[in-house]
Amino acid sequence: MIKKILMGIVGLAVLVLAVFLVIAWESSVDPVDPPASDQFSQQQIDRGEVISGLGNCQTCHTTDPEQPYAGGLAMPTPFGTIYTTNITPDPETGIGQWSQEAFARAMREGVDRSGSHLFPAFPYTHFTKMTDEDVADLYAYVMTREPIRTEAPENTLEFPFNIRMLQAGWKLLFFDEGRYQAEDSMSDEWNRGAYLAEGLGHCSACHSPRNQFGAEDKGQAWEGTVVNGWYAPALNESNLSPVDWTTDDAHAYLREGASPFHGVAIGSMADVVHAGLGKAPDEDVRGLAVWLSDLAGAADGEQAGSQATAAIKSAQAQLGPDPNMSQGERIYAYACASCHYNDPASPNAMRPDMSLNSAVTAPDPVNLIRATLHGVSQEDGIPQVMMPGFASALSDQEIASLLGFLRETHTDQPAWDNLEQTIRDHREQ
Amino acid sequence: MNKFERYLNRPEGTETPASENTLPVSRRGFLIGAAGAGFTLAFFRSGLSFAQPEEVVEAETFDPTIWYHIFPDGRIVVNIAEAEMGQHVGTALARIVADELEADWSMVELHHVDSDPKWGLMVTGGSWSIWQNFTPLSRAGAAGRQALIEEGARLLGVSPDQCQARNSQVIAGDQSISYGDIVSQGDLSRTYSEEELKQMPIKPASQRRLIGRESRALDIPDKTDGTSQYGLDAKVEGMVYGRPLIPPTRYGSTVNSVDDSEAKSVKGYQQTIVLDDPTDTAPGWAVVIADSFHAANKAAAKVKVDWTAGDTADVSEQDILDHAVELIENPDKGSLMFSDEGVDEAFNNASDVFEQDYITHTVLHFQMEPVNALAYEKDGTWEIHTGNQWQSLILPVLAKALGVKEDKVVMRTYMLGGGFGRRLNGDYAVPAALASQQLGKPVKLVFTRDDDIRFDSPRSPSYQRMRMAFDDNGNPVGMEHHAAAGWPTQVMAPFFMPKGANDEPFDPFSAQGAAHWYSVGPHRVRPISNDLANATFRPGWLRSVGSGWINFAIESFMDEAAREAGQDPIDFRLALLKAEGKNAGEAPNSVGGASRQANVLRRVREISEWGQDMPEGTGLGVATTYGQERNMPTWTACVAKVNVNRETGRVKLEKLTLVTDAGTVVHPDGARAQVEGAALWGASMALHEGTRFENGEPVDRNLNTYTPMRIGDVPELEIEFVDSTEAAVGLGEPATTVTGPAIANAIFAAVGIRLREIPITPEAVREALQA
Amino acid sequence: MATEFQLNGQAITVDIDGDTPLLWALRDDLDQTGTKYGCGIGMCGACTVLVNGRATRSCITPVESVANATVTTIEGLDPDGEHPLQKAWVQTQTPQCGYCQSGQIMQAAAMLKDFPDPTDEQINSVMAGNLCRCMAYVRIREAIKLAAREMNGAGADNASVAGGATNE
Repeated sequence: MIKKILMGIVGLAVLVLAVFLVIAWESSVDPVDPPASDQFSQQQIDRGEVISGLGNCQTCHTTDPEQPYAGGLAMPTPFGTIYTTNITPDPETGIGQWSQEAFARAMREGVDRSGSHLFPAFPYTHFTKMTDEDVADLYAYVMTREPIRTEAPENTLEFPFNIRMLQAGWKLLFFDEGRYQAEDSMSDEWNRGAYLAEGLGHCSACHSPRNQFGAEDKGQAWEGTVVNGWYAPALNESNLSPVDWTTDDAHAYLREGASPFHGVAIGSMADVVHAGLGKAPDEDVRGLAVWLSDLAGAADGEQAGSQATAAIKSAQAQLGPDPNMSQGERIYAYACASCHYNDPASPNAMRPDMSLNSAVTAPDPVNLIRATLHGVSQEDGIPQVMMPGFASALSDQEIASLLGFLRETHTDQPAWDNLEQTIRDHREQ
Repeated sequence: MNKFERYLNRPEGTETPASENTLPVSRRGFLIGAAGAGFTLAFFRSGLSFAQPEEVVEAETFDPTIWYHIFPDGRIVVNIAEAEMGQHVGTALARIVADELEADWSMVELHHVDSDPKWGLMVTGGSWSIWQNFTPLSRAGAAGRQALIEEGARLLGVSPDQCQARNSQVIAGDQSISYGDIVSQGDLSRTYSEEELKQMPIKPASQRRLIGRESRALDIPDKTDGTSQYGLDAKVEGMVYGRPLIPPTRYGSTVNSVDDSEAKSVKGYQQTIVLDDPTDTAPGWAVVIADSFHAANKAAAKVKVDWTAGDTADVSEQDILDHAVELIENPDKGSLMFSDEGVDEAFNNASDVFEQDYITHTVLHFQMEPVNALAYEKDGTWEIHTGNQWQSLILPVLAKALGVKEDKVVMRTYMLGGGFGRRLNGDYAVPAALASQQLGKPVKLVFTRDDDIRFDSPRSPSYQRMRMAFDDNGNPVGMEHHAAAGWPTQVMAPFFMPKGANDEPFDPFSAQGAAHWYSVGPHRVRPISNDLANATFRPGWLRSVGSGWINFAIESFMDEAAREAGQDPIDFRLALLKAEGKNAGEAPNSVGGASRQANVLRRVREISEWGQDMPEGTGLGVATTYGQERNMPTWTACVAKVNVNRETGRVKLEKLTLVTDAGTVVHPDGARAQVEGAALWGASMALHEGTRFENGEPVDRNLNTYTPMRIGDVPELEIEFVDSTEAAVGLGEPATTVTGPAIANAIFAAVGIRLREIPITPEAVREALQA
Repeated sequence: MATEFQLNGQAITVDIDGDTPLLWALRDDLDQTGTKYGCGIGMCGACTVLVNGRATRSCITPVESVANATVTTIEGLDPDGEHPLQKAWVQTQTPQCGYCQSGQIMQAAAMLKDFPDPTDEQINSVMAGNLCRCMAYVRIREAIKLAAREMNGAGADNASVAGGATNE
């Protein structure tokens, strides 16, 4: 009897395995000769360039700016490091032998030309929403790039996470294939924004926390999280900004890299804005802004303005020139205020106000720490506006007292834990 | 540009090393260059001469203390031997000359000179410059005017009696001739004996046309466009940069080993040298040498020096103050600056004796430009390019350090990025010179701010004990003052120390202000050198020196004594400013004596809100001093208005009202600027600054923790000068001496607490309020 | 490493370590010594220059971070040294030792772009990062207001200037 049961279990397991293999198995797509560049119209290539930007492809698939799309960027994950691949049309090391069919399958199903499952570090879970036309345009653009011969480093995923076939199971659990479905109740602008944000733009890939399997946690969608050493703030109503996001404000942020009411885009988000959305038509950026302000709980401009004024006034009431300031206040007054002070009635995006800044209200201090230590480059935030870093000027303890002061006086959020140690860790990075 | 013009248009804005632009080495060369181009008013050893340069050279009697030149184009160049550090001293001195010369001010230029011995004692400090130079410069100007009138009259064919000089012209009726034309057409050979010079009449004040009138300082335009050259801007071909590695103690540290293995990876790093200083100015030093300052700085962080520290490695501020108390309590210590007969009797017979102790903490100069020096040898002479206030003091030290004769060292003084007394002590030039000598090439030694502070000569912490004896009617009948501090003059210029009544020498600058003009009966002042302070650091002269801490004690104490006697603090002081006996004053400098101090005190009472009701937590405090020196008194009075937050202990300085009687004011706007700055310095030391020694060094090393006053802290300022034609005295420091005690007294008026320690911190205020 | 940028209207290249602070590149490699070293930690303002028009503490700004930027120092603020602020600084006789004034003027120039008619509070907050050890603060404030008036077209009002200094 026991033997029968055991046999049954083994049989079931074999069956499950067999079913799994059937599900997991993907055929390869035949290699093709790299398509001739005159196969695509210039208009299509140009559209593809915009799509590439909206999808932020270049940021992840480039390490050396001289070798765009040649891959090699390390993406640390809890399971090991994944390196992005070469997506130039080099036939040996890139995707030169990929037909449009193979390309579309990779984009929308997460399977490469040879039939191997891709890791979801590549956001096919979002690209699956892309229209046929956008995929085709993107293919045209990618296949007309300069082919670069270079192999990305081997991934360092640990067993069993390095078994690509297991990704099939992951997909069963966490992947819904399918094109974007418009919300009829919403405007065309909103739907354009949603298509870009949820599909191509894959915003939630950074702005949503992930579960233990590395999948976006649907229950905590848009709640904000730390990705690649930067905090991506919540985009829904959990956003802690003292000023609600208006459409105009979101538009300014995504178009210019800065909003007077929220601060500047640094780190990965600076790439999204400048490298990513730089070539996008304004209606796309406007659509994203409409969608974003709706997600975060839209406010009108007047209300946002008065929220900002109130926040600045409240913070300014707590500081002022005084011989006996606290250490953090003093450092702020002497090292920061000359650039960051604002007239409460009209905060200036070029003078990011710390009482409105997402980095100060964020639950994680990493963005503020990194900006303070290493500065904001000309390429970050508002183009050509830079802030020098204070790593050489201030000690960990001093920066901790400065940031602690800002947190205490410029927000209604609880103090950050372990600030000095966190600063020390980031200084050494 | 010919050589002569180059000499006139010295370094500013050129890339040529300063040395090539300054006085040509050969006098003959200079004089020949000048021949035909102008005449020189030069001092002979025996007097003053106007002569064609060739004749001077022939006679070989030329002593080239050249005060000014007039050129055929009418330009008048005045030589300035004083350091320019923000007081616009050149402008003021030139206006003294130009006024008597009846010069066209728009044609006047300044020339800052090198350190040739011919310029005499070179020191810029003590607020002395105008006071010392007023009369000699006036006479030099008057002599020039007389010579120009005589020669102008001859050229015009009239008698000198018919002529007057005005605006660089000699005028007779409707004829006139310019100074420039007199220089080019005339023969200005003329000699004045010393006796003649002394008799040279100086214009009455009513005929002054420049002195006392508003004008713009000549050094200012270059300070708004970046062309003004400071020591840090000095350059010479082939120089390397040095960054000091300063030992753990000011004295007595020795270098055991230097490990620069990690520094070798720094691009541009050359080597680290250990200095051997026979003068003990920079003992135990190493210097990191590199191609650029950045490389030196970067390498310095990687060079490991193993030192054996000197004896003071553990000394703290509290140790120094504790030692001061021991010294004060030992009657055998210190010098008696004076000790009037009957002091002890006065105290023995007093019906009431009032006693209080006062503490001031260490203060850093924190001049904006950290100290630095460029040193190199050229044609057998050592060139030191730096900003300095007391060339005559450091030149012998440099000569000894380098093992050369004093005439082989020349200092080129640049604009000073702040003096405040720091650059009276030229110690920073010594390691630069030693490094250059050791390497055999020019070395520009640049101190970081941290280095500058560790090597600063700070204002010493002080501990003072004040005592006053009262009679039955509450009138003061005797006073004692014991003041212990580190003594800069003892350490650096002992030859400047007079002997006290007990034959012990004392530092006059550290006792300044103690010889006050109050008639309080027999008075004893006992300055005491704090030898632990002197050993731990090199005490510095800092803006007003002793008068800063001495007057914090005296004027706080006078306020307390007034309250003790139940009197209004101003009435109490006025009653003691009797201008009798030794306090009657002497012409010319202190004419009027204590009556002039009483006058400024009454005036400040009139123009301030004294006597008015103040809101809760707000109060007025007063202080008055004679500046620094009894023979050069600058009568000063101040009312401070403060608001004290009882909860936080924060003190907000709302207003300072100051009245100053400095006699004749040469450059009124410059004078006002000096009072503004000095008053705020005093306030900054009282409320914002102050550091302390720990482990033999000051704990504050930069602006992250050292916090001088900033723009938003500035109170309303009301400043008035007494309109006077009496002798011109000093203005750079006196206002520093009154604001601190006025603030402390105002805090008492506001919330009834006495703070006898500066800086005044919110913690101290809170503690006192709770007590 | 060579870094290219625009300095006072001229394209220049400096071939020095990229981590060299802009301050020392300006002073030691480019002979623009009007920009001063005071604290080295961005807290005294003496080293203030404009990078793409914004006030920046050059002592903590690595030269490589201004690649292709436009840098303006006191020497380049105005070709004749007659920027309204410079004229106001002379008219109010603001500088004493003068060492901090390049930085004060550059910071003020940047401020007037953002706050063309600054209030006392705005001046206090923006200029708090510029230490003047001679404490010429009363005049710095006067000079800023004077320059603001001139730049706003009101013209200089000589009578209200501190000290009432006139040129004879």
